[in-house]
Amino acid sequence: MSILVQMGATLTPERTAARLCELSSDARAAVLLDAAGALAGSSDVPAGEAEALAELTRELFETIDRATRDWDTDPAEQVEVQVAGGAAFASRTPRWTLAVVARRGALASLMLYDLRAVLGELEGGPRIRRAAAAEEAAGAPASEEQAASELPVPELGRDSGDGDAR
Amino acid sequence: MKEKRKGPIGRAAGIAEGVAAAVRRLQREREPRVLVYDQTGYARLVQPDARGHERILELGERMVQIAAGEDTKEGSPRRGARSEAPS
Repeated sequence: MSILVQMGATLTPERTAARLCELSSDARAAVLLDAAGALAGSSDVPAGEAEALAELTRELFETIDRATRDWDTDPAEQVEVQVAGGAAFASRTPRWTLAVVARRGALASLMLYDLRAVLGELEGGPRIRRAAAAEEAAGAPASEEQAASELPVPELGRDSGDGDAR
Repeated sequence: MKEKRKGPIGRAAGIAEGVAAAVRRLQREREPRVLVYDQTGYARLVQPDARGHERILELGERMVQIAAGEDTKEGSPRRGARSEAPS
């Protein structure tokens, strides 16, 4: 069944971590924190450990902020920590912080992109669309329009009709 | 300019160089590291001698352990239900 069918119109904080784990096969567990640092949702975290993972995420960004305080750059928006058994990625906006633990060898650029895209969707941005599995699409007629509509990217800048180039 | 080697020995040497480079790359990728990204996606490496580097790696390792179900206080690893509701 397609995720588009399963999903409601709006991504909720409770569903956000699960959404990320659905999107990425390399994701092992994810947590979402609100602006106050409180746990807002989790997915695939061993029972009873969601709060611990949220606390580690809070401390991760606090430590990163201290470590990069003297840098002449803006505060870090995303973090990647590669360790022996896997990798931790986290992304934050002024309202939310989303962290995911990924398998070793996960493509960092893809994980960071997924984090940013899911947070964008949570904040009312464009929904992420996923390509249907080959078996699901087998019965449907193939066309360029259909292929374009199944690109696994947010629907950026859907044309409102007043910006046509002539 | 490096002279290109020809013949079977040259080909074997080329393959060996490729394998060695791949091994070096894999070793480099396995090294613990911390990267931070700004809003534009520009990445910066937190140097191993930087303040907090060790602590960041510890936090990352602990997160990985939790996700793997290791080091649980209660004993054996368990997997929770998806979308565990916050209390």
